[in-house]
Amino acid sequence: MFFRLYKYSLLCSARERLFIFWNLIFPIILGSLFQIAFGSYTEKEVLFHKIPVAYVEEEGADENFAQLLKTLETDNDLVQVQTVEKDEAEQLLREEKVEGIFYNEAVKQTETEISLVVQEQDINQSILSSILEQYERTYATLLTIGKEYPQGIQAAAALVEEEIEYLEESSIGAASNNDMLNYFYSLIAMNCLMGTTTGLACAMKFKANLSALAARRVIAGVSRFRVLWPDLAANISLQFLYVVFSVCYLMFVLHVPIGDQWGFLLLTIFVGTLLGIFLGFFVGVAVRLPYNAKEALCILIMMVSCFFSGLMADGMQRLIDRYVPVFSHINPSSLIVKSFYSLNIYDTYGRYLENMGTMAILILILAVGSFVVVRRERYASI
Amino acid sequence: MGKKVVEIENLVKRYKELIALDHLNLTVEEGEIFGLLGPNGSGKTTAINCILALLHFDKGSVKVFGEEIQPDSYEIKKQIGVVLQNVAVFEELTVQENIDYFCGLYIQDKRTRKKYVEEAIVFSGLEDFRNFYPKKLSGGLLRRLNIACGIAHKPKLIIMDEPTVAVDPQSRNRILEGIQKLNQQGATIIYTSHYMEEVEQICSQIAILDKGRCVASGTKEELKSMIKMGEKIHLEVWNLQPFQIAEIKELRHVYQVNYQEGMLEIWCSGGKHNLVHILDYFNSREIGFGRVYSELPTLNDVFLEITGKELRDSV
Repeated sequence: MFFRLYKYSLLCSARERLFIFWNLIFPIILGSLFQIAFGSYTEKEVLFHKIPVAYVEEEGADENFAQLLKTLETDNDLVQVQTVEKDEAEQLLREEKVEGIFYNEAVKQTETEISLVVQEQDINQSILSSILEQYERTYATLLTIGKEYPQGIQAAAALVEEEIEYLEESSIGAASNNDMLNYFYSLIAMNCLMGTTTGLACAMKFKANLSALAARRVIAGVSRFRVLWPDLAANISLQFLYVVFSVCYLMFVLHVPIGDQWGFLLLTIFVGTLLGIFLGFFVGVAVRLPYNAKEALCILIMMVSCFFSGLMADGMQRLIDRYVPVFSHINPSSLIVKSFYSLNIYDTYGRYLENMGTMAILILILAVGSFVVVRRERYASI
Repeated sequence: MGKKVVEIENLVKRYKELIALDHLNLTVEEGEIFGLLGPNGSGKTTAINCILALLHFDKGSVKVFGEEIQPDSYEIKKQIGVVLQNVAVFEELTVQENIDYFCGLYIQDKRTRKKYVEEAIVFSGLEDFRNFYPKKLSGGLLRRLNIACGIAHKPKLIIMDEPTVAVDPQSRNRILEGIQKLNQQGATIIYTSHYMEEVEQICSQIAILDKGRCVASGTKEELKSMIKMGEKIHLEVWNLQPFQIAEIKELRHVYQVNYQEGMLEIWCSGGKHNLVHILDYFNSREIGFGRVYSELPTLNDVFLEITGKELRDSV
């Protein structure tokens, strides 16, 4: 029975032209428009490619910086370091074979000065600059603590280590801190959350007081949940496929560097789709409004959610993170965007899993809430 | 006395201050085509929704096939087919797919289901439209599809809530014939309609609902015998004087007279020779008359007399 009903639900959704337009074609059109608008940025910055940099070290200079560069080269795939002489480095920069030169010079016996020379100012040069700034800040912090409060140096070192880790993530983030890319992440989030309208449609076909079709299904000689599961499964499958198709279009046709961890990308899209569909289903069964008002509410939730994750305004996500962090932690679109972001930026999966976990909890709340509302329901009026 | 298929006892359903069903009592027996008549808002659809356990009610009981029906009474529900007032089909599925979908909610065996779906298509006369989408069907065909979806699984009890609304006469006849055929095949049918002539044509038992109460029930003959009117006589007469109209009113069994534009209508209570008495009066007064014809009471007359209101468009 499940597969037969699943097949028919799939046919219904696949044949619905409005659904195809809004959930498949519209995101593709919007993605194409984004690419026309921001294409030069995304093409210029090819993420996950090491930034070539020359390193010139004087004898007696601080070796820690060389160690940091090595780490960033081997562990983080952020830079590609060529340790060369000054003349050769300048030659490489002129020929644009490197994006910058780090000079590590011994100023006094115990002091070193590290500088960066770049030819032009773009995102890669900014990354190199931020690496240097963070290193210097950390170095200075440790020196100050060592002088003023020697007994706390160990604790400070531990804290600084943590900070370095964070800053490393941030600097690597800067590598793909491509604000333009955030628009595309938000676009994918919007595509996932378009499942709200699909979820609402499922609710319309499920609650007897919402449509005659639902009434006919509810009075059939079978548990209405046995009718609901195939419906939800079919809509989730189709919405998931649509989003995957859109993402493939962004990646392979528009060459937007969404990421290359396909397993996690698909998992994020799947969880995002589930979140959208259960959000719509919950609105459908729990909110007492006419259908049109519910539909408007779903679209409103989706658009507000996407707005605050940065779909329409660059930097919005950062503002919300700073001033209303709680909202940022429960905003569905932000969670999806952050999942993509953390997946592609950080080496570790901690933040990614944190976002995915929050989404899973939200899905669980919405699903349980919906089923509590509709369980053994008889209606006061139809 | 046949087996009771539906028993409604003292059913009360309120929508806030409005009493939709007021201690309603109804019994539908096996093999009947049971007509539920009533003006808009009389409680017909509410009663049906209670029978289907869709609505919760305030008081009373509803038994179907001898058992109290609950939302999860799936075994009982499997024996019920419903044709709702509003067309309830998937716009994105073809005629055949729609019937297969709904039949499949009841019939799991693939071969049986295929056979039933085919039979429902033939029964509804939709053979030439099996691959059509609902939006391509005319109003009448759409109604037939709605019926096919409700009866494909061969239920023992079929509930039809105004299935012929906005249907052309050809489709209506086909639907009514179909309902009688289903009944002959053994199905018990509860039929609600606005159209008196339909109910009169097909129903073996009729209940008239008004303000949530059953104001009269029985066979159509029994209902007709309940009312005062036995016969309505029409005469074409010119220049009838008011005193003559008053005299006619005084004749035996005559209880109402209406004279308009040369046509005299005389309502008589049950009597064997009403027409003879009236014609005798005209002969004795040497009043000339043209066409004469007599009408027996219809269900509409029964309804008007019992509820005191027009069936259609009344609230």
